[in-house]
Amino acid sequence: MTTALDAPSRYLPRFHGVPLAWRNLFANKRRLLRSSAGIAFAALLMMVQLGFEQGFFDASLSAVRALDGDLFVFSAYKYRFGTRDPIEHGELDRVRAVGSIASAEPLYADWQEFFWTSPIDRKPYLVRIFAFDPDAPAVFSLSGIKDQQTLLKNDDAVLVDRNARAFLGMDGTAKEAELNGQRVEIAGGFTLGPDFMSDGTVVMSDRLFAKLLPGNQDSVANLPIEAVVIKLRSGEAVSAVQSALRAALPNTSSVMTKAEIVDFERKFQEELSSAGPIFWLGAIVGFVVGMLISYQVIYTDLSDQLPQYATLKAIGYKTSYLVRSVLRQAALSGLAGYVPAWLLCIAAYRIIGAFALLPLHMTLHLTVLTLGLTLGMCLLAAVLAVRRVISADPAEIF
Amino acid sequence: MLAIGGVFIAILLVFIELGFFIAVPQGGMLVYDHLRFDLLLCSKNYAFQAEPWQFPRTRLTDAAKAPGISQVTPLFFAGAKWQEPKGGDRLDAFVIGFDPAAKPFAVTDIERQTATLAQPDTVLVDDATRSLFGPLAASTEVLLDNHKVTIGGDYTLGTGFLGMAVAIMNETNFFRLFAPRTADIVNLGLITLTPGTDLETAAATLSKALPDDVQVFTRDGVKHHEDKYWTTRTSVGLIFGSGLIISFIVGIMVLYQTLATQISRHLPQFATLKAIGYGHHYLAAVVMIEAAMIVLVAFVPAAVAALAIYAQLRSATLLPVVLTTQRLIAVLVITLLMSAASAFLSLSNLRRADPADVF
Repeated sequence: MTTALDAPSRYLPRFHGVPLAWRNLFANKRRLLRSSAGIAFAALLMMVQLGFEQGFFDASLSAVRALDGDLFVFSAYKYRFGTRDPIEHGELDRVRAVGSIASAEPLYADWQEFFWTSPIDRKPYLVRIFAFDPDAPAVFSLSGIKDQQTLLKNDDAVLVDRNARAFLGMDGTAKEAELNGQRVEIAGGFTLGPDFMSDGTVVMSDRLFAKLLPGNQDSVANLPIEAVVIKLRSGEAVSAVQSALRAALPNTSSVMTKAEIVDFERKFQEELSSAGPIFWLGAIVGFVVGMLISYQVIYTDLSDQLPQYATLKAIGYKTSYLVRSVLRQAALSGLAGYVPAWLLCIAAYRIIGAFALLPLHMTLHLTVLTLGLTLGMCLLAAVLAVRRVISADPAEIF
Repeated sequence: MLAIGGVFIAILLVFIELGFFIAVPQGGMLVYDHLRFDLLLCSKNYAFQAEPWQFPRTRLTDAAKAPGISQVTPLFFAGAKWQEPKGGDRLDAFVIGFDPAAKPFAVTDIERQTATLAQPDTVLVDDATRSLFGPLAASTEVLLDNHKVTIGGDYTLGTGFLGMAVAIMNETNFFRLFAPRTADIVNLGLITLTPGTDLETAAATLSKALPDDVQVFTRDGVKHHEDKYWTTRTSVGLIFGSGLIISFIVGIMVLYQTLATQISRHLPQFATLKAIGYGHHYLAAVVMIEAAMIVLVAFVPAAVAALAIYAQLRSATLLPVVLTTQRLIAVLVITLLMSAASAFLSLSNLRRADPADVF
């Protein structure tokens, strides 16, 4: 049996007739501005904090991401890529003896022994060094390194990170500098950026590395090999070669794909760095603040419109319709705050990123995550506030 | 109640960001705060504590001859690969070599274990060393740069920004481990003055007497240097600085939102007051006072919660993150200013309180 009261839709206008949520939202422009400003700041806080978190990870992963190879061999004792722990020299020959390999090139690196005398204040600062044979196939995919690697054939030539911290003076016009007390020529630059450990990076040939590394006696053959960068012949299956390499090498060596090496580094950062929780805490605070603001806005709005809601109820609109309308309004106000926050955040990332030299980018992942959080906080606030509409009793209000 | 809740969160946010902001430079000072010295002698290339560069020991012995100097003692720093004897990752540990007789560390755990330090190839480890370094119980054996050493015991100081693990050992053991390094090159020199010697004068005299490959810091001087290093040279200061600024803005937003809501809710009452003759200034004063009262009521629980969070932060990082009266008052003043700013912003709503309109 269907009565008129059970199905008010028969004669009452539906949502598509009257966009109730939309009109409520725009009824009071002043309040809309105020509420979206509040929600925007909460959203911005979440974006900035989560952006920092992502930026920190990206900064520490940028070097391994710049490596150009299908497989990498390095010491199994390494707890992270960025620490000195060379492999035995014999391993390189073992790697090269495995078939299906187009090239296997040693990568030399150092994080503790190279001091760059800044042209700015003439003081020595610890820098990160990567070195390789400039005649061999590229070991870095970073354009500034890959394209300019022939420049490294010149005596004493180095490439420097133009994105290094400013006090190192690598971004400027300096044509030469000092590394470990010896003059080097700045042949060109690339853009990598600093991470937790290193303020700047210098790339050089294996010969120059052998000359500058303390206690090495200028011999390339004796250099500590930090990793072997392997490229496969086209058409070879990575996993098959990886297994072959594992079989050929002692268990003191790890064989990883690029994705695995990035994961390995990320895992170390997640376990040991306290940056993650700090930024998540900030994001949670943003969420709570946003929820409070949103709740307050919705609650006030509902209180003001309670007679209207009660009237709608009295003429037969179902509570569920009104609740949906409130939730829709909350979601719309969330969007109204989110869009300006998103735009502001891009500007904030540019400014903060330039100062802190952190790779802050508005990625799709961050966009989706923060949009979800913003809508979540608004809807949660609406759910808490909407009880007022549910309990709105026409008889009481008038 | 809701208003107070919102303001509570806003103030708490300011407290938390402030806590991080002050904790960071203190991480750089943690070890210095537990070293006995009046003056610090270091290379002119000194960057920060874990990258101090080095200088000839003769500079230190020369310094000892200056008037007013009671004691000089060197500190030696090294990085070593730490590995459990059964194998596993080779982790990076920070190692400090020193002369226990000179008592450079103002840490009771260390002074108590001087005899332990005298045993060959024995180290003491900071108990804040990360768990991934394995068990740190006394008489555990570990490999440092492939040399077997024994953990003699631990001490509570905190690793600060030196690294994930810190081990200390006496000079003799240190140079046996890091051969062929010798004691002729030192990383830091700790200088204590005879009582009554003027600090600044002694510092000035020393830096004039010594060659310019070294520099002399007072305790305040080194604090200033480390603070500056961590807040300007690294991204850490900027990140927490911007967090602090954002927390202020969010705080103002919440306060404004709260007050504006209060005003619109009481608009009829305000209009009535206006209608019966109260001036705009009087009503503005009421809003200002209301703002101040909301802040004051929310401030107390926020400060209490902040105390609890700071205690957590202290035990997690061993950094002396303390809510001093000064900081407490600073946050109170700042939040009162924030509430005044937001009350001012919301006053425009009050202007609309037109008795004819409202009813």
